[in-house]
Amino acid sequence: MEENYLICEDSLEGIFTGIYEAYALRREHERIHIQVGEEENLRLFAAYMEIQPDQGKAAKVAETINRRLGGEAYLDICRALACEDGQKGEAVYKMVVCGLRMKDGREIMGNLANSYVHKVFELARFTRNEVHHWKEFLRFQELENGILFSRIGPKCNVLTFLAPHFADRLPLLDFIIYDEKRGIFAVHPKSKEWYLVTARDFEEEKIAPYSEGELEYQELFAFFCHKIAIKERKNLKLQRNMMPLRFQEYMVEFGQ
Amino acid sequence: MYYKAAEEMGIKEKLGILTDAAKYDVACTSSGVDRRGDGKGMGNTELGGICHSFSSDGRCISLLKILFTNECIYDCKYCINRKSNDVPRASFTPDEVCELTMGFYKRNYIEGLFLSSGILYNPDFTMELICQTIYKLRREHGFQGYIHVKAIPGADPMLIQKAGFFADRMSVNLELPTADGLRQLAPNKHRKNILAPMRQIQNGIEANKNELVLYKKAPYFVPAGQSTQMIIGATPENDYQLMMVAENLYQKFGLKRVFYSAFVNVNEDKELPALPGGPPLLREHRLYQADWLLRYYGFQAQELLSEERPNFNVLLDPKADWALRHLEVFPVEVNRAEYQLLLRIPGIGVKSAQRIVRARKNGALRFEDLKKIGVVLKRALYFITCGGRMMYRTKIEEDYITRNLLSVKEKLPFDKDGMTYRQMSLFDDMSFRMPPEREDCAKAAFGQL
Repeated sequence: MEENYLICEDSLEGIFTGIYEAYALRREHERIHIQVGEEENLRLFAAYMEIQPDQGKAAKVAETINRRLGGEAYLDICRALACEDGQKGEAVYKMVVCGLRMKDGREIMGNLANSYVHKVFELARFTRNEVHHWKEFLRFQELENGILFSRIGPKCNVLTFLAPHFADRLPLLDFIIYDEKRGIFAVHPKSKEWYLVTARDFEEEKIAPYSEGELEYQELFAFFCHKIAIKERKNLKLQRNMMPLRFQEYMVEFGQ
Repeated sequence: MYYKAAEEMGIKEKLGILTDAAKYDVACTSSGVDRRGDGKGMGNTELGGICHSFSSDGRCISLLKILFTNECIYDCKYCINRKSNDVPRASFTPDEVCELTMGFYKRNYIEGLFLSSGILYNPDFTMELICQTIYKLRREHGFQGYIHVKAIPGADPMLIQKAGFFADRMSVNLELPTADGLRQLAPNKHRKNILAPMRQIQNGIEANKNELVLYKKAPYFVPAGQSTQMIIGATPENDYQLMMVAENLYQKFGLKRVFYSAFVNVNEDKELPALPGGPPLLREHRLYQADWLLRYYGFQAQELLSEERPNFNVLLDPKADWALRHLEVFPVEVNRAEYQLLLRIPGIGVKSAQRIVRARKNGALRFEDLKKIGVVLKRALYFITCGGRMMYRTKIEEDYITRNLLSVKEKLPFDKDGMTYRQMSLFDDMSFRMPPEREDCAKAAFGQL
């Protein structure tokens, strides 16, 4: 029998709409699959459907997940969908199916023996760790106009998880976090709500020069990091394990 | 009384001297309190703490860890800042500390301030300066990030009380585990003076909890609890004595954390042991592992060590060591065992034990499910059954399991040239080179999360 492949846009809205349409097909879920982005290898005996993101349908799915599977599972789904992983749509879809069949859907994240739940669990953990790393290693640089600017290069789309943390922390300051891999900015004007902006052709040369004290602070911190180390315990391997090299190009204390 | 802040000295030079002087303090944690910002100042805190960088010794940099001054009237033999040492001296002003903290914090370099100090003139004077600084930071600069300060033993209890309302965590260093050791190496310090502020803070935290029940808006007193640290390897105490002291501190003084600091010989004093192999890092590591067992795994110090076996096994971590001496408990059926018993199985940590309890509600677990959950089967397989069966046919016999566990290779946060291993040439075929996991390091090795 024919299999259905639903091709969804790579976004929360796109994939949630896909889940809505999958249920609307009213056939056994084992034969329906959700694919994110372009189809690569077309299969024989498969029907492909392009799914247009639909806010209303996505909202219904989000509401159902929240109500039946609980807030914890919902957040983990959001985290999983922030990953760059071809299987994420399928995993979330099948996990929702599994959760809705359970007596108590709120226990879904504990059901790690289910391979789809396990997949979502792993993706969510990946995002959670990535967010945590950037909370640790992101650095702001003060510009002449008083704005704090930060450039990051995360492996998954962390801005929506990162911005609230800094908005709570620096409510009276203007700051911008720039995800250079995706061309997205989180912008926080002082004492206001933060928002996201996309700008594909952003050139970093266009940002204002540093403020007067900025380089001095960078130097002070680099000096502090140097002084705080105990030479009798030197252990560069441990340092690298705790702080993977890919972060260092974004950290002022490691210089250029 | 006034003090000279050596104003001709630049801020960078001061920072250098006073960081250098503060680096031997272990506690660089920013954990224990979850506080959102109120929108009117700067800063918040996260329950688990945040490390912002790692120095070349692999220790985490979470707080701006500095001394207020490295002037000191005391002459403790192990301390780089002792009176009789000829080292450059410097002092900050409260405003300089505030400015540095705010400048670093808004750039996301740090989670907050860790302020300790040498004793300038007398304990009261020093504590007063510390209080002034954190008062300014909280009230004038609106700082809501993490603050850890030392309570100076011998200072007026009123000053310690005052500091407690501005700080998140306070600590009084025990320095050395026993009163004897203290007498020998820190002639100006007395055990009783160290325990007094510790007790005062403990009582303050208790009283504050009751107040908070009555009035939700009562100010918080040391909300992230208090900690202490002791130097190991400078005096002849054994591990058993150390663990008993630590257990007492947890039980009788309600401490959040006890830190262990491998002794680094900076002064070459004749009273101090020579450590040709470098600081006793492996011993420190074992103590942290055991400390974890006390706090999260429901172990008692006396289960791990005794008068007859006063030191930890060099080759096995304390939990595996315990399991091998209690083979009568094993194998344990993972699908039925209580949480507390699951925690005692080598290869199963707190997280995986919690996941097992949750996952087995949905049906019996198999070995492959355990793997997904995060159980280290290579270690656990000798101690568990799943659905009544062991993973392989294995003997439940101490020598056999020990041999097999040793071949799995333990993950240690430092490798073979981590000095302590030189003497173990017998075991050169065992490599200690497996990289530790982030969590293991941060938590078990230094306990810095």
